Amino acid sequence: MINSFFNPVKELFRGLYITAKNSLKDNVTLLYPEKKKNMNKFFRGKIQYIKENCIKCKLCQRVCPSKNTIQIDKYYSINYAQCIFCGNCVEYCPRQALILTPNYELASENKNDLIFKEELI
Amino acid sequence: MEKILTDRMRINIGPQHPSTHGVMRMIVDLDGETVENVETVIGYLHRGMEKMAETSTYIQYLPIVDRIDYLSGFFCSYAYVNGIELLMDIEISEKSKYIRTITMELNRMASHLLWLGCFMMDLGASSPFFYTFIEREKILDIFENLTGNRMMYNYYTFGGVKRDIDKENLYAIKKFSDEFVFALKDLEELINYNPIFISRTKNLGILEKECAYAYSITGVNLRASGIKKDLRKDKPYLIYENIEFNVPISENKDVQARYILRIKELKESNKIVQQCIDWLLTNLNNKNIITDVKPLTLKPEGIAISEVESSRGLMQCIIYADGTLNPYRIKWRTPSFYNVQIINEISKGYLLSDLIAIFGSLDIIMPEVDR
Repeated sequence: MINSFFNPVKELFRGLYITAKNSLKDNVTLLYPEKKKNMNKFFRGKIQYIKENCIKCKLCQRVCPSKNTIQIDKYYSINYAQCIFCGNCVEYCPRQALILTPNYELASENKNDLIFKEELI
Repeated sequence: MEKILTDRMRINIGPQHPSTHGVMRMIVDLDGETVENVETVIGYLHRGMEKMAETSTYIQYLPIVDRIDYLSGFFCSYAYVNGIELLMDIEISEKSKYIRTITMELNRMASHLLWLGCFMMDLGASSPFFYTFIEREKILDIFENLTGNRMMYNYYTFGGVKRDIDKENLYAIKKFSDEFVFALKDLEELINYNPIFISRTKNLGILEKECAYAYSITGVNLRASGIKKDLRKDKPYLIYENIEFNVPISENKDVQARYILRIKELKESNKIVQQCIDWLLTNLNNKNIITDVKPLTLKPEGIAISEVESSRGLMQCIIYADGTLNPYRIKWRTPSFYNVQIINEISKGYLLSDLIAIFGSLDIIMPEVDR
């Protein structure tokens, strides 16, 4: 009888003790729009195209898992709405014409903002 | 006392319900508040992962594989990559074996930690959720520095891994694994003796041995029923032969046993991580992480069955390759698909609120069920 009363009380204080201990620790979250996390150099964010290096071998198209993210005809276009940021195109590009940037803030109100286009030739 | 007359009722839980961990629908027949029958409806998250393989080349399919189980992507990745390596007779280097093991074990820890947080949330306790997420965040930071992404890694490749673990990362893992022991102790102290937790989990959702065998249950759910089966011990792959660890089992068969086993498995995984770290720190100069294969023109032929003990159970990838650039057929055997079918058997006769606890204890993840 006494045990069934004191045991929950004991556990309540044990829980409060752990909560108090954790409240003294440093913050683990960031106040996002004001403070931003520094991404490391390998981070797979927005893909950037460098026209000077490109030889139009279309290897980036061939290794892309979401198939028509990259289109090469008159324009070189990347559709960031379809991209899954796997980094395959960057990895297999023979001339470093594609590089990864740590930019991860790609949200947009307009779908067309997410299509990158650059005229070739 | 006179028996209270109750009405039979059929209610719906899900598809979008916080405790179904994704999108699953349960049609529950109730007698008063007692569960009589549970019918599970799956398929809301079907993305055609197996069909996708038939139209992709081997290298195109590699990043998609991580999405089968997004909480422990390394296991799916390993199952697929290992299958291709078996077909092509590729031997991977010692160092890449160690790197694969350490990432997979860290992934298991991250997955179990998320499970623990969500399970406690299902039971109505919200603080463990935050404490587990603090630890999980550290693991994800390590993965981000190593692979370039937090959940969709695309790190393993045919013949090894894509990038070497540098010294900083190794020390980060070492620091994490040293501190994790104390963090887990705090968590255990918070949960283990809590009278509410004990009364809500003990003798609940009993899964008998025969039933577990009949439904092909694997992983912790099977071991909680007293059957010692773990692929890492039974059929060691990678470097599990050289590593000392135990496979915890329990005879209690209930929800609490599954919780205790997952906590024990966290400790065992931490042990494995520490042993791998020691090896990797002594072999820093070894840069042999990848065997040279030409992944763009892979044309394997034959059938390979590749297995891995994932955080949820036995995961298999069966590859049928016909010597062209695309696989003919890829079949995934995912543990959650089997675990989800057991709910009806083990939740009969318990209360509706207990159904959530039982369902939570099975550690089911819907993208893996539906693929």
